[in-house]
Amino acid sequence: MYWITVVAHLTYPIYCLTSYKPPNTETNPTLEDPTPDYMNLLGMIFSMCGLMLKLKWCAWIAVYCSFISFANSRSSEDTKQMMSSFMLSISAVVMSYLQNPQPMSPPW
Amino acid sequence: AVVKYLLCVVRLQHAGRYNDDFDDGEDIAEFDDNDFAEFEDVSEDPAVDVEKEPPPRAAPSSTPIEDEEDEATVENEDGQDEFEDADAQDQDMYSKYDNEEFEGHEKTNPSFKDTLIYREVPAHLQNSWESYYMEILMVTGLLAYIMNYIIGKNKNSRLAQAWFNSHRELLESNFALVGDDGTSKEATSTGKLNQENEHIYNLWCSGRVCCEGMLIQLKFLKRQDLLNVLARMMRPVCDQVQVKVTLNDEDMDTFVFAVGSRKAMARLQKEMQDLSEFCGDKPKSGAKYGIPESLSILSEMGEVTDGVMDSKMVHYLTSHADKIESIHFSDQFSGPKVMQEEGQPLKLPETKKTLLFTFNVPGMGNTSPKDMDSLLPLMNMVIYSIDKLKKLRLNREGKQKADRNRARVEENFLKQTHAQRQEAAQTRREEKKRAEKERIMNEEDPDRQRRLEEAAQRREQKKLEKKQMKMKQIKVKAM
Repeated sequence: MYWITVVAHLTYPIYCLTSYKPPNTETNPTLEDPTPDYMNLLGMIFSMCGLMLKLKWCAWIAVYCSFISFANSRSSEDTKQMMSSFMLSISAVVMSYLQNPQPMSPPW
Repeated sequence: AVVKYLLCVVRLQHAGRYNDDFDDGEDIAEFDDNDFAEFEDVSEDPAVDVEKEPPPRAAPSSTPIEDEEDEATVENEDGQDEFEDADAQDQDMYSKYDNEEFEGHEKTNPSFKDTLIYREVPAHLQNSWESYYMEILMVTGLLAYIMNYIIGKNKNSRLAQAWFNSHRELLESNFALVGDDGTSKEATSTGKLNQENEHIYNLWCSGRVCCEGMLIQLKFLKRQDLLNVLARMMRPVCDQVQVKVTLNDEDMDTFVFAVGSRKAMARLQKEMQDLSEFCGDKPKSGAKYGIPESLSILSEMGEVTDGVMDSKMVHYLTSHADKIESIHFSDQFSGPKVMQEEGQPLKLPETKKTLLFTFNVPGMGNTSPKDMDSLLPLMNMVIYSIDKLKKLRLNREGKQKADRNRARVEENFLKQTHAQRQEAAQTRREEKKRAEKERIMNEEDPDRQRRLEEAAQRREQKKLEKKQMKMKQIKVKAM
């Protein structure tokens, strides 16, 4: 909503008070930072890979991705999305260790 | 003679058997002796030996040899059994290849040793945390990330608060409304910064003559993201303060002007819609107008530059040249160029009279809250610019030139989109024709069909005639 309040005073000059209108990011996509959305998606992909293919390193990377997404997120963003991606990555890690308690071997 | 032969055979067999027995006995004796000797070793260091156990796989291979041995091995425990088997195997081999009897058997000895494969206990069965070092590394990394997040968030928050504290007085004296987050219906002054992110803080000020409102954005570095911190170690970046003043129509005359660092000017000329359209010339060096070489100017016309660059402005720019990234005054501001999709008829983007200031916070990333005070004179410059532009008016020639420029830009735009609009019109016409044809085809009554077809044909002919008339007229005019 865009409200204009006109204030007139005998001694002070006339000025207008305009309320704040957040910039419309749909018309100007360059203003938005895509990092949290990408990281969220990556996190979900990696956690699904970790769960399905039983790869421990995928699950750990998913945890990192969800943390990075959280750090870069906007205050107006939904916390439910963040929490769900975080929970998914944690569950991927836990499941891959329950299925195969062996420690992770480095790729080298 | 046959009997003698038979007796000899029997004796030989006996001897062989005796030998076998003897050998067995020897073997047993050797085995027993060595067995005890080996057992002593085992009792000294049972843990080591247990680990060095050959796997059950080795057991089947030793079973044929086991058969030859006596029952003593069967009575023993499994572990010792396996150990004995290996040992027995060893002993058996050694007994076969006696030093006195054979030569060159040493060569084969190492191979026997090689066949003994010491398997390690799987890591997760070992009771040691050391095998989980990758996991410990991962958790440590996560903890480091969390620590950095907390530290970075707090630092950004402190910087923002320090900035606000030093600028609060100036803003409150100039604006009736300081700090509005847009959540309430009416414009209410919250008196606080609006946090958009962990690294971006907004402040909306309004209620002043000569302007509609001012949006200040504190764009700090992403100190809360460890990846960003590491990336910045390679490529240092500054914190930035961006001030966007939106003006009413009567507050500014029609011109486009920008001044800033050379790099920023080159970049803005390519990126910004209005700068690329109205300021076609390359950025001029600021030295001509008394400002440092490091700053360059983009202007629609020389008169504008002369009008903006008065002594006070020059003083501001000279004393704070290192903190100024860009200053952009425009009546045709519509933001950066937007990539248009193909085939879409475009409208001219909406423009607004805007002043856009981008300042670099000193410190190159390692800023402390004290550095925020050094930005106060720049805010004074902003206020001064707002008041100045209200009074700055182009003369008649300048105004005409500006109007011509704007008309030219609009024409260019229409020409560019003309082709697209023609295409769109063409497709619409074809669609209409197709729809009509379908209607005719679907018509069941043959009479009506014929009549519709004739009507369509007549219309086509009329159009052709019209076109021909037009062409004739144009030819006549040309002549």
